[in-house]
Amino acid sequence: MPEDRPWYRDPRIVIARRDVRSLSREKTIVLALLIQLFVAAFSGFLVVGLTSLYDPGAVASGEVELAITGDAQDELIEAAVEQDGASTVRFNDSTEARRAFQQRQVDALLNATYVDSPDGGGQRIAVTARIPEGSIRSTLIVVNVRRVLSTLERQERVDRAGYLENDPVPLPPEVEASPYFGFTYTILIPLLLFLPAFISGSVAVDTITEEMERGTLELLRVAPVSLLDIVDGKSLGMVLLAPAQSLLWILLLSFNGISVSNVLPILVFITAVATVVVTIGVVLGVATGKRRPAQLLYSVLTLVVFGTAVVLPEHPATTIAKLAVDSPTLGTYAHVVGAVALAVGGYALARRYADGVDASPF
Amino acid sequence: MQADKLLRVARWEVTKNAGGVDKRTLVVMALAIVAMGAVAAVAVSGSGSGTGLNADIYRVGVDDTSPYYDVADSSGSFRIQDPDREALRNGDQELGFSGERLLYLPRNGKQAAALADFRSTTESYNDRTLAGAENQTAAFPVSVTLVYAEQGGQSVLDTREATGGDGSGNQSEATTGTPDADGNDTTTATAGNGTTTGGDGGGDTTTGGDGSDVSGGGDGSAAGGGADLGGIGARLTGDVEGGTPADISPPFPFESLVLAFLYIVPMNFVIQAYGSSMLSERLNRRGELLLVTPASRGDIIAGKTLPYFAGAIGVAALITATLRFSGIAPGGSPIAVLAVLPIAMLFLAATFCGAMFARSFKELTFVTVTITVSLTSYAFVPAIFTDVTPIALISPLTLVVMDLTGQSIGVGEFLFSTLPPLVTALVLFGLGAGLYREEDMFTQRSIPLKMLDALAGQINSRRSAAKMSVILIPFIVVAELAAVAFLFVLDSVSLNIFGTNQTLGIVLILGVVAVIEELGKSLHLYAGYAHARYERALRSALGLGALSGLGFFIAEKGLLIVRLSDLERLPIGDAAVSGAPPPAGVPLWLVALVFLLAPLALHTVTAAISSVGASRGRWSYGAAIAVAVVVHFVYNFTVVSSLA
Repeated sequence: MPEDRPWYRDPRIVIARRDVRSLSREKTIVLALLIQLFVAAFSGFLVVGLTSLYDPGAVASGEVELAITGDAQDELIEAAVEQDGASTVRFNDSTEARRAFQQRQVDALLNATYVDSPDGGGQRIAVTARIPEGSIRSTLIVVNVRRVLSTLERQERVDRAGYLENDPVPLPPEVEASPYFGFTYTILIPLLLFLPAFISGSVAVDTITEEMERGTLELLRVAPVSLLDIVDGKSLGMVLLAPAQSLLWILLLSFNGISVSNVLPILVFITAVATVVVTIGVVLGVATGKRRPAQLLYSVLTLVVFGTAVVLPEHPATTIAKLAVDSPTLGTYAHVVGAVALAVGGYALARRYADGVDASPF
Repeated sequence: MQADKLLRVARWEVTKNAGGVDKRTLVVMALAIVAMGAVAAVAVSGSGSGTGLNADIYRVGVDDTSPYYDVADSSGSFRIQDPDREALRNGDQELGFSGERLLYLPRNGKQAAALADFRSTTESYNDRTLAGAENQTAAFPVSVTLVYAEQGGQSVLDTREATGGDGSGNQSEATTGTPDADGNDTTTATAGNGTTTGGDGGGDTTTGGDGSDVSGGGDGSAAGGGADLGGIGARLTGDVEGGTPADISPPFPFESLVLAFLYIVPMNFVIQAYGSSMLSERLNRRGELLLVTPASRGDIIAGKTLPYFAGAIGVAALITATLRFSGIAPGGSPIAVLAVLPIAMLFLAATFCGAMFARSFKELTFVTVTITVSLTSYAFVPAIFTDVTPIALISPLTLVVMDLTGQSIGVGEFLFSTLPPLVTALVLFGLGAGLYREEDMFTQRSIPLKMLDALAGQINSRRSAAKMSVILIPFIVVAELAAVAFLFVLDSVSLNIFGTNQTLGIVLILGVVAVIEELGKSLHLYAGYAHARYERALRSALGLGALSGLGFFIAEKGLLIVRLSDLERLPIGDAAVSGAPPPAGVPLWLVALVFLLAPLALHTVTAAISSVGASRGRWSYGAAIAVAVVVHFVYNFTVVSSLA
């Protein structure tokens, strides 16, 4: 190999550039970015949608009007006063209350009565809540009813504390908080940052098997490069794409007001993960030489590897989450270092394997 | 298409395909799948043991004398540290407690989120510890029974005329299965059976822990086989609806959705292999060998698809059987497998088209990811609402969820849910087949050109303009239904947040519908011009546009598929169906005339506009379609707002 060649003419760099260029020429990289944007938008959309369904009280300030009947109505009304989301109407006649419910003058009908407890230890308040069915609003109503009833339960427990051996732990104060905070950092950000790595691995399979199936690997081998150089170059291009895309995501997220901390360790970690999956992809590509089995094995194996990571003290997704939310521990950094070591070691092994493969049959 | 040739191709695809899966691969695959099962088992059994997935992203300063120590210890979200005011101030600790006192009020989003999370953790911690208390009446002094009941009167979501306040909701709605064309269905249907008012109430007011009596109200409507999905609500959650306040859960079939996810995951593996096989036919002219055999194009495509289709359905059957006999979902029946069929077809058809379009393996990978993401969301987003509204039936996955939870599914529901995706899949196969020929398979044409090729492949004469509009209808229906589902989520969110009365959602859906329909009516015209199948003259362009509009109109009115369902009970669904209900008091013949002729006129006029644009080239096509969309939107908006 002539020594006077500048570094960027190194055959490995040239191959890496060629692969990345072919991606951008096919405009598929744009498609990939669009998909990821869609995934992001979709998850965000789903989060807002689901949270509002699952816990509409977290998003909504919509007030729910409850009709209250029964001999324990005073206790229930007292509990409802504490809740912002619910206002109450007192009914002494249950037929009238039911009519109000049927005519949609109230959102829900709560009948609270004292009943003797089956185990003979005093009286319980039995509440029958009538909720309108088949509308998106019923979720909101159910959530508000649950809040009121939880408050009632808490108050009753305090009144009956003398009968309990352990006092319930008092609740810390309530604050305004984003209901998406936990989801954003533990699910959305890891998902967005890992996706580029997995796509890179899949494309690494393609770029190797395509050369083999089309027979163009033969042409490359005529050039003064070894199979090792080709594997190096192709892996390099794919590995570097992943952190570049991740960085793009981080910028986009911070643009949306979601700040991501520890950007450098995250990028190092993503690069290491991308190296691991690309190594898997490249080895499978070289070993099978055909796309169909290689891709199938790749998707199954990455799933297994990612799933097996559960046995680690910290799942890679958790590592990303902790770094991004700025609560890293020493263990988190140890995982980053471990991932880098695994990537370097795994790739060295893969190189030794590729060096030993005779590529001429392809 | 001949069966023996088709089967021969299928057999060949399984045994000695060019890119076949050899024995070694199969062994590795089997091992990997076993490993995956083992990992899943470990993950499930070890989920409580505090490893791996516990993202302890919040740091809580609390010492072991505080009652909050055990609370923080009980949740995976918190890491316990010594309380440290300095760390709190620097943001190195989110919460700090001294005894029962909170040391520091939250200053940023992270601390606030931590406190909110800590509060709910405390609530569930209390419920858990009190479960062991001696005096259960004092520990759980409130017992709750939830009853879902239909309301009469005016609803926020249901803006139509109400039925004068009779209470018999469930039973009466079951008889309205096929609303009459006027749209004012409720007044006619509820007339005869107001007698059950309050009948279901009496039996339900018992307290206690079993939820079965609660769902009694729902049974009546489900048995009716009509379209009232709302009545199913209480049953679908499968949760106990009686108990303590903490046991109440909003209607959300989360577990069933997770089960349904099992059906979608294997599809991705199937389409991986299928796409590879289809694309490798196009490498090095391998597919030419098959093309020169006496087998027809249809035989080849069907034969090559059959093994994968059988595989996908086989896996679905296996999953259903496993779920059924392991007792996880004892309600699973062949209906679930049948409902998966259109989803499998759609996945395969989209991959087939993708493999015909893709220029390289890399591109196919991206296309496959796109298909996976978009079809999975198509299957999932509506299914989230399984128990809420009929909108869920847009996705066949809803049928799977319903079947797994043991609900009966009406024929009308089944057809409404499965037909559009099934027909769309067939059309996709047809379009892809237009590319399964030497000129397209072995050359590198750009994707837009190939798209036009696929469309133009079906055009023979001027009459094809009408035919193509008919063929593309399933796409339009599926796209519109998906848009309705998506905007429904958006809408319900905005309803909850802003309390808007759905105006924005309706305007958006009108816009989306206009864009989708105008594209569907004119894209094939543009393809025809680009391939010189049509004459580029003004008169011819107008005629073609009119034909296309006519075809679209006939197909839309003939289809009436949205009418099969309850979709129009929601205003947003109503807006999607351009034929809005007529106001009362107008003579019937006039109604018929206006409501048949006005959409016909609209469709022909807008199609003619874009047709003229299409005949003059790419840029004028873009401009013309914008004009057509605006006209369409204004028409729809006028119709909807004047009838509202």
